[in-house]
Amino acid sequence: MNVEREGGRGTNQLRPMDCSRNVLSRAHGSASCSHGETKVIAAVFGPKAGTKKNENPEKACIEVIWKPKTGQIGKREKEFEMILKRTLENICLLTVHPNTTTSIIVQVAHDDGSLLPCAIHATCAALVDAGFPLKSLAVAICCCLTENGHIILDPSKLEEQKMKAFVCLVFPSSVNSVLPEGSTDASAKSTEQGIITSLSHGVMTVDDYFHSVEQGRAAVTPLSNILKKKMQSQFASNLSKAG
Amino acid sequence: MESKPSIHSSSLTVDQQVFPGDVVLDLSKMTNQTIKLGGGLRQDGDFISVMKAGVLRFSKPNKYWVESSHKRYVPSAGDNILGIVVDARSDNFIVDIKGPTLAFLPVLAFEGGTRRNIPKFEMGTLLYVRVVKADTGMNPELSCMDGSGKAADYGPLKDGFMFETSTGLSRTLLSSPTCPVLETLGKKLAFEIAVGLNGRVWLNAATPSIIVLVANTIKQTESMSPTQQKIRVESLLQKML
Repeated sequence: MNVEREGGRGTNQLRPMDCSRNVLSRAHGSASCSHGETKVIAAVFGPKAGTKKNENPEKACIEVIWKPKTGQIGKREKEFEMILKRTLENICLLTVHPNTTTSIIVQVAHDDGSLLPCAIHATCAALVDAGFPLKSLAVAICCCLTENGHIILDPSKLEEQKMKAFVCLVFPSSVNSVLPEGSTDASAKSTEQGIITSLSHGVMTVDDYFHSVEQGRAAVTPLSNILKKKMQSQFASNLSKAG
Repeated sequence: MESKPSIHSSSLTVDQQVFPGDVVLDLSKMTNQTIKLGGGLRQDGDFISVMKAGVLRFSKPNKYWVESSHKRYVPSAGDNILGIVVDARSDNFIVDIKGPTLAFLPVLAFEGGTRRNIPKFEMGTLLYVRVVKADTGMNPELSCMDGSGKAADYGPLKDGFMFETSTGLSRTLLSSPTCPVLETLGKKLAFEIAVGLNGRVWLNAATPSIIVLVANTIKQTESMSPTQQKIRVESLLQKML
């Protein structure tokens, strides 16, 4: 199952990932995230009083504004905005601040494939930085199906273009728990196995889809550990003296 | 101050970094106890799970909360904060407290407040106030009186200089024993300071140069350890005097 990949990566090998919080001084929460060459900066403003028209005033409203690196906002950007909004509505606790609006601005600094996972990690880190109440963190991964039927993770722009099909999956991050391992509780299990978002493009068989979900899920724990570690190092410097 | 609870499971992550979604307590194993939850924690069925990233703290006998630092303030009853008057209505002053919504300060919530003597505040007046009510779904309510109806130190702050910091820094400034920055500065300089838990700090001193020095020192020493802070402050003071 060996596929030649750019930079000598294995099929399941992700590009180096970096994430730093509090990169902007005026935003209430901000973060920049990079997967290899792909880089996204996210800023959170709010929560501000009042919801937008056609939104439920008994819940918090999330507004996502996607800024492409160059050019005008088109259909692709609008689609990303919608996917991000729906994904975030599933991980945020919307009832804590009812009748408020939180704006999230996503600026693409460079697109080299797997843009959506990178944007999801950046917004997630920015929400954590802003102190927005969250059910859990979100971990996203892009899976690609090559012409000869192999599944590769975290494709670059070049690989994305050559692909037969790709699927972008968002999972809730793995959590630390005081509950014993293998607890039979239903709620604990659902977080372990849930999928928040699945976005597929191109033609793939059902078997291939389930195979890529499996591959993606295997990457959840290492990815969430990396994300948490990156965020933790910054907490430590802020809170070391507060203890 | 904080200590490991001895009663329940040892896997409890007190004084450690927690992230949203982490489960920190199992209520089904501690049926005959009352626990108090602070900011950042929520009850989810039989578990207590985390909703904000930060450090989990425990205070005897039964208080749990997540400590973190943000640029926004979430109002909670009993906090002393600095608010800015943005509007005056017949019943309430509308006050900006850096929170999700503006807060109401009833015109009668002052010592000896009656319909006859309503205080007059210009837009932009800085007030030292107490949060009385902070329920979700309604604007928080403020008061300029302590619990017994006395003015205490609450009220408008005249002159001086106000700057904004993170909620974490304002908590450090208010911690006891006094934080090393204020202690060291206070030994050499005379200044007045009012710290609001919402991340606003007001300063006043005899000369503007002292205000500038104190404000800059507080802002610069945010990310330092206590020892570093002490060294920094002393070197700054030596340069100045």
